[in-house]
Amino acid sequence: MTGERTFQKFKRLISKKAFLLWLDSLKKDYKLIGPRYYRGNHAVFKEVDSSEELFMEYETTMLSPGKLFLYKPNDELFRFAMNGKITIDEIAPIAEKQVIVGVHPCDVNAILYLDRTFLGAFKDPHYEARRKNTLIISLNCTNVGDNCFCSSVGAGPFLHAAGGYDMLLTDFENEYLVEIKSREAEELFGLEGRGAGRDELRLKAEKEKAMQGKFRKTINVSGLDNIFVENMGHPVWQQTAEEKCLSCSNCVMVCPTCFCYDLRDEMSMDLKTVTRYRCFDACQDIRFAEVHGGNFRQRRAARLRQFVTHKLGQTNQYGVFGTVGCGRCITWCPTGIDLTEITKEIQKHEPA
Amino acid sequence: MNPLKPLRAKVEDVKTEAEGVKTYTLSTEFPFVAEPGQFNMVGYPGVGEAPISLSAIMRDGSFKHTIKSVGRVTDFLKDFKKGDELFFRGPYGRGWPVKKAEKKDVLIIAGGVGLAPLRPVIHLILNSRGSFGDVSLICGARNEKNVLFMDEFDGWAEKIAVYLTVDEAVQPDRWKYYVGLVTDLIDRVKIKPERAIAFVCGPEIMMRFICRGLIMHGMSQSSLYVSLERRMKCGIAQCGHCQHSGLFVCKDGPVFSYKEVRGLPDGVL
Repeated sequence: MTGERTFQKFKRLISKKAFLLWLDSLKKDYKLIGPRYYRGNHAVFKEVDSSEELFMEYETTMLSPGKLFLYKPNDELFRFAMNGKITIDEIAPIAEKQVIVGVHPCDVNAILYLDRTFLGAFKDPHYEARRKNTLIISLNCTNVGDNCFCSSVGAGPFLHAAGGYDMLLTDFENEYLVEIKSREAEELFGLEGRGAGRDELRLKAEKEKAMQGKFRKTINVSGLDNIFVENMGHPVWQQTAEEKCLSCSNCVMVCPTCFCYDLRDEMSMDLKTVTRYRCFDACQDIRFAEVHGGNFRQRRAARLRQFVTHKLGQTNQYGVFGTVGCGRCITWCPTGIDLTEITKEIQKHEPA
Repeated sequence: MNPLKPLRAKVEDVKTEAEGVKTYTLSTEFPFVAEPGQFNMVGYPGVGEAPISLSAIMRDGSFKHTIKSVGRVTDFLKDFKKGDELFFRGPYGRGWPVKKAEKKDVLIIAGGVGLAPLRPVIHLILNSRGSFGDVSLICGARNEKNVLFMDEFDGWAEKIAVYLTVDEAVQPDRWKYYVGLVTDLIDRVKIKPERAIAFVCGPEIMMRFICRGLIMHGMSQSSLYVSLERRMKCGIAQCGHCQHSGLFVCKDGPVFSYKEVRGLPDGVL
């Protein structure tokens, strides 16, 4: 649910046990989705039957909740009946009520980024319906992964977005500091707990500061737009493309902000129905920018540069970085390409 | 309604313009309004959609697309006949800044099928000729078989200056216009840089040399406008295919001032 106003007042400490019981009580009206243990520090966002299945201490997931439950990998949009006069059947959005709990700040910021694409001048009805019917409960991070660099781009490890989500949790040992951020959450959340005073808020700030100090990957983002434009011919692009990049598109698929899609028509075997789907597409695919008589990104280096500069440059598009610093593209690149390393290589030769 | 939902259009007329190029006159059951330089996503279920510029916007609400058959969608359309039905969405994008061109000398420069998106501007100028200064159409094509709207040039030439050239004439003795690159023709037009505006459409490499040529003649980057071609799936700034640096060609363009797009990566301008 997009927060129509921000709620500053409600800051309370609730025992974890009580909070999880409250989550279970939502199950009669909502699908409960959250991080489930996968292995090590990894979780997978999935529907759960009970809050007992949640692995709230997780560090990261391969796929972000936003691109699993709001902007889906494959959406059926239209069905065309092809016999006689063609008729168009618009597939109505399925708007199941769902609550996604344990969404890390980077992934909340990624959802806010997707909002810019799908709730702009032209609204995507499927995304809009799911967004309206989804309660987002964010959880400030307690772990910093090897590839996390959210602190460098202001997307974490604690959430500071003004709105666009419903609740924010901060881990306080046996309790959560619960902050209500939307009217829907305010109406749903009946627990009293104990009020958070100045001491607790100071403790929260200290926790955030401690987390900030744990980042092993950082990037200096000042002036990146210009630095990239001035270095589009930098040898690092060609070198990385030649030596490492496989154009496999893993980076795009795991990226929580990559919004590109393809429209695909599928004809039924009896040739009577065409179904038009929208599915994820990737700028790493050689055909992505192809037109008749040419391809604007024929070279692998150009496609690699498009991904990296869309994340760390090109802020003229939405006024924010295209990256939330989740580091998934680094983690899941089969050859270990790291956009922060590419950026540092380019920055080496730039006057500070 | 889903903005990606295609709308129905009826083919009212099909006219062969040049080798592999046809103009389709389309009508809809609702009034269709568009600006010169805008485009539609034209297509058919099971085949897909492609961005196609409007080559005419008629007073009666009908509109025209001039389409060269070069890809999956455009190849499919080449067999369409009067009375057939096809599908489209639009109009989309930012067109030519015709308001800015009022009272100015207008240079309309086209290469090949690049003339199609400029024809609505020509129509608009012809209809209110007094609002514009000197108007010159400079048009180039590979050879005479590739020249669009050949039968309309004489009519246009009554009100605006028309310069026509082919890179190479197939039958040189029957070709009564220029032979050579369109870029060479710029030198034949008297340009007063301070009062001129240029609308350019053609292959990107041609637009590069035209713009650089016009700058040599003293024109400023912000008085030159180009229409870009990119792959598009949605036309509504979502699918990401047309992204050109941070710009969405479908929404921020397809018409840009040269100043906005000069030197951007993955383009040749």
